[in-house]
Amino acid sequence: MIKITNLEKTYRTEDVETTVLHELNLQVQEGEFVAVMGPSGCGKSTLLNILGLLDDPDAGSFVFDGKETVGYSERRRAELRKHAIGFVFQSFNLIDELTVYENVELPLVYTGVPAAERKQRVEEVLDKMRIMHRRNHYPQQLSGGQQQRVAVARAVVNRPRLILADEPTGNLDSSNGNEVMDLLSELNEQGTTIIMVTHSEHDARYSHRIVRMLDGQTVTENILT
Amino acid sequence: MLRHYLTVTVRNLLKHKLISAINLFGLTTGLTCCLLILAYILHETSYDRRVPEAERIYRVTRDFYNPDGATTLQLSSVAPPIGPLLQNDFPQIKQMTRLLFSGPIVVRHGEKILTEDSLTFAEPGFLPMFGIRLLSGDARTALQEPRAVLLEQRTARKYFGSENPVNQELKIDAGILCKVVGVFQGLPENAHLHPAVLVSFSTLNDSTIYGERQLRTSWSNNAFRTYLQLPAGYDARQLEAQFPAFLDRHMPQPKRATDYVRPSKMTSLALQRLTDIHLHSNRADEIEANGDVNRVYIFGIIALFVLLIACINYMNLSTARAALRAKEVGVRKVVGAQRSEIILQFLGESVLITAVATVLAVGCTVLALPWLSRLAGTALPPQLLWQPAVLLALLLLPLVVGGVSGLYPALFMSSFQPQQILKGFLKVSGGLAFRRVLVVVQFVVSIGLLVSTAVVALQLRYLQQAPLGYNREQIVTLAYPQSLTPQYEAFRHALQQQSGVQELGRSSRIPTGRLLDASDAAATVGDSLRPTSANVKYVSTDEHFLPTYGIRLAAGRNFDPKAYPTDTTGFILNASTVRLVGWKSPAEAVGQVFRYGGVLGRVIGVTEDFHFESLHQPIVPMVLFLGTVTSRAPYNQLSVKLAGADVPGTLQHLERTWKQFLPEQPFTYTFLDESYAQLYQAEQRQSLLFGIFAGIAILIACLGLFGLSSFAITQRVKEIGIRKVLGASTSAIVLLLSSDFMRLVVVAALLAFPLSWYVMHRWLQDFAYRINMPWWIFPLAGLAAAAVALVTIVSQTVSVARANPVKSLRTE
Repeated sequence: MIKITNLEKTYRTEDVETTVLHELNLQVQEGEFVAVMGPSGCGKSTLLNILGLLDDPDAGSFVFDGKETVGYSERRRAELRKHAIGFVFQSFNLIDELTVYENVELPLVYTGVPAAERKQRVEEVLDKMRIMHRRNHYPQQLSGGQQQRVAVARAVVNRPRLILADEPTGNLDSSNGNEVMDLLSELNEQGTTIIMVTHSEHDARYSHRIVRMLDGQTVTENILT
Repeated sequence: MLRHYLTVTVRNLLKHKLISAINLFGLTTGLTCCLLILAYILHETSYDRRVPEAERIYRVTRDFYNPDGATTLQLSSVAPPIGPLLQNDFPQIKQMTRLLFSGPIVVRHGEKILTEDSLTFAEPGFLPMFGIRLLSGDARTALQEPRAVLLEQRTARKYFGSENPVNQELKIDAGILCKVVGVFQGLPENAHLHPAVLVSFSTLNDSTIYGERQLRTSWSNNAFRTYLQLPAGYDARQLEAQFPAFLDRHMPQPKRATDYVRPSKMTSLALQRLTDIHLHSNRADEIEANGDVNRVYIFGIIALFVLLIACINYMNLSTARAALRAKEVGVRKVVGAQRSEIILQFLGESVLITAVATVLAVGCTVLALPWLSRLAGTALPPQLLWQPAVLLALLLLPLVVGGVSGLYPALFMSSFQPQQILKGFLKVSGGLAFRRVLVVVQFVVSIGLLVSTAVVALQLRYLQQAPLGYNREQIVTLAYPQSLTPQYEAFRHALQQQSGVQELGRSSRIPTGRLLDASDAAATVGDSLRPTSANVKYVSTDEHFLPTYGIRLAAGRNFDPKAYPTDTTGFILNASTVRLVGWKSPAEAVGQVFRYGGVLGRVIGVTEDFHFESLHQPIVPMVLFLGTVTSRAPYNQLSVKLAGADVPGTLQHLERTWKQFLPEQPFTYTFLDESYAQLYQAEQRQSLLFGIFAGIAILIACLGLFGLSSFAITQRVKEIGIRKVLGASTSAIVLLLSSDFMRLVVVAALLAFPLSWYVMHRWLQDFAYRINMPWWIFPLAGLAAAAVALVTIVSQTVSVARANPVKSLRTE
């Protein structure tokens, strides 16, 4: 599903050049659950941003579903993103002005799903995330675990084939964290590919494979079974 | 999607109530100012447009030149023969009509004796040309017969109450018995003339009133308003080009002229479009005070400025809020929103807010129009705004203003990169330079308006306090009826019985009026009597005029016909005339031979220069002579100088004496002070409105500054925290944050100074006597703006500077 070859990414300010990714190679098969680990600044998040088509590499190739995405226009990337990719963040990133229901509905609004179908799909996914009873609440009225469940609901409502999670339990206590990891596992079992950046060995154990990064390169891969 | 955006917009507005309120207030205030000014402009430009075929009607005007070719007088009316001769010579003229305004005149019906200011002799063609509707009577025959009168409906009610006025009699000016033949609907407020009584023009044929021969031959009485109607599409300039030849063909040479001078060298005729009269005509003898197109431009520019400031404000406040909404933009992009969708969302928001502001502004405008009407001194009904073009503009306004002010924030916010925002780096610092430019623009306009307000106010104070060369305090003026002349000495004696009457004098014109009368002047230079090189205006006075007004003599003496019978041919000149002739000093002028209007006499006195006319006009050469010299210069005005505190008692005495001597004359008086204030009423109003709009502009600009500083502070929270950890004091941080903005205000001030100096320098050119702009108003205006800005900024920075730095640093 994903094939990354010789990926390069350098951030430049006026007089400092920081190479974040260097000759990075990675393949992810459909249905896999991959955890990416490594010390701060090793390039995990940059990799995730490139995988999520939020950022562009300077060189190398990123093939998604057999198609080269490097050089895609902003418009095509947004198009691909909204249909195929869901995001879960450490800090949840829910829109404060929207209710739980409306936050989850947002991706469907942008994909142009008709209102009746939206309602059905949002309710379905809220139910699944056990957050239905909070549908008319605003994010600030929820606990961290509940907020992250809403964020996961938002990530999956469009039925993406890939979920990118950036330290999804980083802001949660262990019981809420486990709950979110269980949700992600469940989604993976139903066929969604998941790539997760994490610092937590505990969370990493939910995945099939751990990719360790150092200085912009993958150094080892552990296959967990 | 639309409903979704609307929900988000409304929730955002409600969540950030203060910023929403500021935004809405700024836009509403700006739009209200614009709509109010628009109403004023629409009113000013609507003059005479209700007249049918208004675009094809022209007024004939006349200019006079001295031998050097310099213009000496510009009149809005011409001599009586010109109209019929034009019609005779130029068949392209479809209609011609003449009017003669009588000036204040007494009209009597039974016991009712009233003074009419707008009695007008009119040719029958006036009615159809100006589209005047008769409420009773027959328009085709109404003004045909001599001594036929049409009354404007309110005037009719004044004389006849609910009675039918038709076929009733009115006595005009004590002697002219007329018959009312109908009632007409008065011209609307936005017309350049408002006759209240129309008397048939043929009445003037009577030689005891004016005389048919005079009408045909008098080229010197330029009191006849003459209007022409030209064919559709005809270029008036074609006709104007033939006027010099026309004058040379018809105009007789003055009797005393020694060499032949072509009439077209001394005088010219021109055509003035009816619809241009109100805003573009400023002749010496306008029927009513006209508007001024420059004032329309000035207020139009102010309206645009205020709107500009309000738009800039919105941009600044929206971008200030951008930091708060960055996450929203990031999330939207992550879930697949295209940039264009985000732009549309934010544009939609600003259009919506502008639409709400427009609705509020229309409401405020309707409420504020009566107030503006009072300030502007004209009726500005809300109906002015209910016309298709304005309504369409009101519909488009949210799109245009919302679009303009929302575009920058929309482009700015939609450019956020989600991967940065969502990681918590609020790197939304782009476009700072642009926003700084916006703030500078706001303050250039605000400081410019402040300077202008100060200059206008100072010039006005100067006009109020300038030494005029005469004393205008406690002088009451009345129209002087000729019928009083035989018993004048007795009248004067009776009045002076009361100690409250200090002095009284008669004259053909009074100060605060215009000097329009002139005749040929010649003075002794060396051995010969030579015509003066420029026009010398005259006022006929009696020997009490100078003492009444306290006008000082620079040399010689006042008239004293009892002691010096030759004073009937004596002249008193003003100092300007002495300089014009070339005499070295006033003393040298006294005793010289002087000829004026064909009367040969001697100069008996010279006055210091005094401001007979308003300070808009330069002091011109003028001559005073006793009203008995020529029958052409009768006394028209009586000025009474009061003394002591009991003004009401003195006025009662004046009225009793007046009624005793002049039972047929209404007693109507004016304080000279009031006439004087009238001269500068337009500037007074302008000054007030300037001040109000400048205040509003600064208020809105400060709201914008509030937005920008709150924006900058969110940007620099971390920096402030670090500085505090390192030991910076609160005041050092306030200074740091404020100095950035104060620099902008300083730049704005430096730009505003030369601009406002130039604009106000031009404005002052309208006054013959004006202040020198004092240098200190510039730094003062700058300081005032800076002070208001400083308060705005400091009020925000103090709380941030005091905050615990641990809090702000932890967010990273």
